[in-house]
Amino acid sequence: MIISPALRKNFVIAIAVIAGFALVPMVVTERYLLGEVIIFFFWAIVASQWNLIMGHAGVFSLAQMFLFICGAYTTAMLVQFGDLSVWLAMPVGAVVATLAALIIGAACLRLTGAYVALLTFAIAEVVHVLIITDTECFRHISNNCQQLFGGATGFSRFADFGFRKILKADWMLGNYYVVLTVFAVTIFATLVIIHGRYGLAFRAIRDNLGYASSRGISRFRYQLIVFAVSAFFTGAAGSVYAAHFRFAGPSLFEFSTLMLILSMVIVGGLGSTWGPFIGAAVMMIVVEWMKEFGDARNIGMGLALVLFVLFMPGGLAGAFKSLWGRIFDRTPKPAAAPDTNV
Amino acid sequence: MSDRKEPRGTVPTNRRNFLKAAGAGVGSAAVLAGLNGSATAASGEPIPIGCPAPLTGIVAADGIEFRRGLELAAEEINELGGILGRPVELHFVDTESKGDDVVIQAAQRLVDRQNVHALITGYNLETGTALFDVVADASIIAMHANTVAIHDETVKSEPDRLWGTFQIDPPEIFYGVGFLDFVKDIEAKGQFERPNNKIAIITGPGTYSVNIANAMRDNAANYGLEVSLYETVKVPISEWGPTLAKLRADPPAIIAVTHFYPQDQAQFMLQFANDPTNSLVYMQYGASLAAFRDVAGEATEGVVYATVIGALQDEIGKAFSKKYIARYGANSSPNSGGQTYQALHSYAVAAALAGGSGAPYEEEQNKAVANRLKNLIYRGPMGTYRCVPDTLSAYCYPSQTNDPSLGMPHIFSQVQDHKSDGVLIAPVPYDVASFKTPGWMKS
Repeated sequence: MIISPALRKNFVIAIAVIAGFALVPMVVTERYLLGEVIIFFFWAIVASQWNLIMGHAGVFSLAQMFLFICGAYTTAMLVQFGDLSVWLAMPVGAVVATLAALIIGAACLRLTGAYVALLTFAIAEVVHVLIITDTECFRHISNNCQQLFGGATGFSRFADFGFRKILKADWMLGNYYVVLTVFAVTIFATLVIIHGRYGLAFRAIRDNLGYASSRGISRFRYQLIVFAVSAFFTGAAGSVYAAHFRFAGPSLFEFSTLMLILSMVIVGGLGSTWGPFIGAAVMMIVVEWMKEFGDARNIGMGLALVLFVLFMPGGLAGAFKSLWGRIFDRTPKPAAAPDTNV
Repeated sequence: MSDRKEPRGTVPTNRRNFLKAAGAGVGSAAVLAGLNGSATAASGEPIPIGCPAPLTGIVAADGIEFRRGLELAAEEINELGGILGRPVELHFVDTESKGDDVVIQAAQRLVDRQNVHALITGYNLETGTALFDVVADASIIAMHANTVAIHDETVKSEPDRLWGTFQIDPPEIFYGVGFLDFVKDIEAKGQFERPNNKIAIITGPGTYSVNIANAMRDNAANYGLEVSLYETVKVPISEWGPTLAKLRADPPAIIAVTHFYPQDQAQFMLQFANDPTNSLVYMQYGASLAAFRDVAGEATEGVVYATVIGALQDEIGKAFSKKYIARYGANSSPNSGGQTYQALHSYAVAAALAGGSGAPYEEEQNKAVANRLKNLIYRGPMGTYRCVPDTLSAYCYPSQTNDPSLGMPHIFSQVQDHKSDGVLIAPVPYDVASFKTPGWMKS
């Protein structure tokens, strides 16, 4: 594989970022704070994959949280009903999310623009309703009815990674490094895709479909690929989320969660490389800070989203690039859409 | 156990403070006051108590009452001298009416940031087991009113690890058969005559509602009833037209709504009242909240509801409700706030009896508190809390014990005047009125 200078530069950044996070438990011993960093990893993975599909490939899909949930539910159900080890269930969760994405993608990608968003959102909502309105008991645990898909409560307290037995009070460290590993793999894979031939093809389709088609790039094929790839990592994140929290439930379908991830992508910078990661970090800090404000929390997030769209359409990554350009590059350049180097 | 380094004088308990706290139940206040009065060695450092509660989202109406109940209890306990001289200090984190993942982080935040000695809450939506691991990892106490059977099963599965999580009311499994028994009872007394043998059961999707609905459905035949409709609705729900159309097409003698959001139940009654069927209407829990009567007004008169943790209408219960409403207004709900109120009072007594509360990871002291809670018989405004040793849930009267002084009563109430709380109509000896045929039913 030929490694381009851009990819090399981003690899160096990625190694530094991951090394930095690997050292976090040396200074952060509070379980809650480590838990918040773990949640950051999850949302950063989902945001980065959403950015891949929406920012780079130009597919306005709202299925990302649904794919995350596919991974989470698959893992939970395999562990709960099949007594499968969570280590085996997690890869299956990622694969199931990928298969779901291929099916959804095959249907949705015959549409374009807002219609894709509507259809993907509708699919997620239909599944949500089917799950929470299912009251038929699949099995009974003593007096407790458990539905096939967990009903409105979902699945909880199933077997986890097993670190509680090995690391005792430090079990969170084991979970932390497992999630960090998935986060690291996702970053490297995403960098390779964005800065490789596939990334070029995705952006070509996004920017000029006619020209891309004339060069032999099939919109359907490449967009299906990006659907599947982003679903795999999103589903993997969902699987690990389920194993970490020992929970998969319909509250994951909440619209507020979808909006939170979307705001991470927008605030960070749609179509950039590092924007979703920066956006995830910033929004996690904002959410943490606003926890004291009750319902105003959602208003604050909505306001931040509107302000970024109006005044910083390239997000923080775009603003950083612009600032960098002003300081170090005096050559006047025409305004352009955010590229992939930040 | 927490620090006991600085000797202090006796806790300033006097008759005025003692009587102020009488809402908790005179006997209970006396126990705490007595223990505080003889305490000599406690530091004055506050005891942090955490409450992960749904302060926003779909069940925020309850969450706000849980906060109020704790605030009122903390004030009273502190007036009595706190817990062995240490005042109680409350901390709240919003769980947003979401699932286990959010509740777990909220509880962890309270443990790590506030070093809470106990987590006390009402219920969190659709989550029955979220607190267990956080509590077990930190070796602290948790008290909740999730009202779920899964609590019992979970405690039984890991008794050595899950010694600290208590369910302050009985699980929901007693509701279904309890309601059928109630109907049989009012029939026997000649207060109700069923127009036919049909029962319609309308449930929400939650495990709590489903378990209750299923118990009614599975036992209906034993009471000579035939289930004419079993319907699951997506919640929240404001448009009841399709469900009501089915009820009107085949009117049952009894309509049991086990979905429990008060605002949804209020909408049901508003739309039902337009063209009522000749049916007894039973609603699960939500109708006990003021929000139900606020929204639906006169349409609520005649509705029967039940709860296994509601304010009684005896001397202790009425004193509490009066104090609560005087403090938080006529639209507040003592039925809901009383849950955490009673829980904090019982925790304070148990901790005082154990010689003090324990900070996180002080397993020995918190186990001592847990043992006291396990053996405590605490009479508060919601009835008697006494826990089943192997499940750490409250005993249910009359389903599990026929002694009303030894179990949390499964109370049935009826809205007879929409401007005030429903009146308690069962069980004996807590009943203060009889069932009245609702105005919409043909007598």
